[in-house]
Amino acid sequence: MEIYLPVAEMSVNWLIIIALGTGVGFLSGLFGVGGGFLMTPLLVFTGIPSTVAVATTLSHVTASSMSGALAQWRKRGIDFALAGVMLVGGVVGTVFGVWLFALMRRQGQMDLIVSLTYVIMLGSIGFIMLRESLATLKAYRSGATVSHHAVSRGWILGLPFKMRFRQSRLYISVIPPIGIGFVVGTLSAIMGIGGGFIIVPAMIYLLRMPTRMVMGTSLVQIIAVTSITTVLQATHNFAVDIVLAGLLVSGGVVGAQLGVRAGAKLRGEQLRFLLALLVLTVGAGLAWQLVARPADIYSLAEAAP
Amino acid sequence: MKRALLAILLLFAAPARAEDLVSGVSQDTIQITSNYTGTDIVVFGAIERPQSSQGRNIVVVVRGPDQVMMVRRRNRFAGVWVNSDAARFEGMPAYYYLASTEPVARVAPPDALSRYGIGLQALKPSAIGSHHDPEPFRQAAIRHLRRAGLYVESPGSIDFLSETLFRTKVPVPAGATRGQYNVEVYLFRDGDVVSAQSTPFFVDATGLERRLFNMAHNAPLYYGLACVAMAMMLGWISAVLFRRPD
Repeated sequence: MEIYLPVAEMSVNWLIIIALGTGVGFLSGLFGVGGGFLMTPLLVFTGIPSTVAVATTLSHVTASSMSGALAQWRKRGIDFALAGVMLVGGVVGTVFGVWLFALMRRQGQMDLIVSLTYVIMLGSIGFIMLRESLATLKAYRSGATVSHHAVSRGWILGLPFKMRFRQSRLYISVIPPIGIGFVVGTLSAIMGIGGGFIIVPAMIYLLRMPTRMVMGTSLVQIIAVTSITTVLQATHNFAVDIVLAGLLVSGGVVGAQLGVRAGAKLRGEQLRFLLALLVLTVGAGLAWQLVARPADIYSLAEAAP
Repeated sequence: MKRALLAILLLFAAPARAEDLVSGVSQDTIQITSNYTGTDIVVFGAIERPQSSQGRNIVVVVRGPDQVMMVRRRNRFAGVWVNSDAARFEGMPAYYYLASTEPVARVAPPDALSRYGIGLQALKPSAIGSHHDPEPFRQAAIRHLRRAGLYVESPGSIDFLSETLFRTKVPVPAGATRGQYNVEVYLFRDGDVVSAQSTPFFVDATGLERRLFNMAHNAPLYYGLACVAMAMMLGWISAVLFRRPD
């Protein structure tokens, strides 16, 4: 049941990797996220070097996003114009992120930065989601209607370079979407994630996009960013393992479809509550690893000659 | 007078009568295929013109290709463990296996062992641009590689099939680096090397694994694009297969 990974230069049990792909795919279909934030730490846990884990998880996210985007496309839920504008920032952010990744790897601080970024992102997003879903669940029980308090958009309306996005019925400056794209592109390269859990709230609360356009448009952005990052990771860091990617993706796409079906049976706020717990658990686990005394304070890495 | 004569006689007779060694390995190439999970090679040899087995020892050392290794030490900084010090070592073998008839400390004195690089403690890679005190880093590197099964000392693992014929099994684990490995066989008599022989073997990937590895390093752009294309294709296929009736 062992298979040799040519780039990671190690053998893994392929059944475990496919199961991992299916499991994370199921959760990503269930919650409508790419699942990169779960996949990367889990791969590292199975002994795959973190550089390979970060770079290869992106293919898993590309595939599951592709699957979701096609479904949204049929429902005309994609604003290609807005996705294109965000991608401008995304490309710049990706190039910056891959450069940063190579720099951190040379400095020996890659693992620390990846873990810290994860703890901060997962901690804050998980906390916000938990609070929001609990409030909604409570309100639902008491029978009251919930009003979403959006972030004040005053400063966003005042920005220049306005553009009209007809499908989303928006007339906004291009600066916020480009900025969102940049942040997500950078994080994608460093963390091996698509960034859905950042783009989706940003589009809803900052850009005030209609919810039915949010999913599809963010998925297009994620496909583009993860594809570009995969190519850049392959050319700059030689860190993409195509055999590992194939196994993850094969499990992932099946799991994602099963997850979507299971998700249809649960209510939105219940899903968000469960996702918040999951996100916080992963975040807490990583935070513990940062502060707990390591078993061996020395670590060994093969260096470039 | 009689004793001096005897000594001269022995001295002249020694080259013709000295013990000698012939050895070989069971395979000169190990191919890494998709289901490679590590294998064993057999190192065998024979002692020619054997003398008493008292005071005689056989040591087999297998050394993988040299690597540059970076050892980092973490320190607590504001509650978080951060890599703070590092040492870089050149000339650390990626793999080191030692088999001997007796624990090496009993085979020869330390200076002889370190001259031939026998035993993990005799590994003295050069520390380059490094920490002022590289010793704990070197110990840590050896500890890590032992834990990974890449550095092994296995005394008492040489089987004698007859008075003069011996063999030992050397594991080549799944994590073995590609490249040239050298098998050195030493014949010790009373703490001195009387004969030694070195034979190389190669660990290399074949078939698909080799092509993928070469492509990832020689044509990384196409390799990256192939990864993306595969991911998109599989995503697309799954969307079509699982399409729900709208």
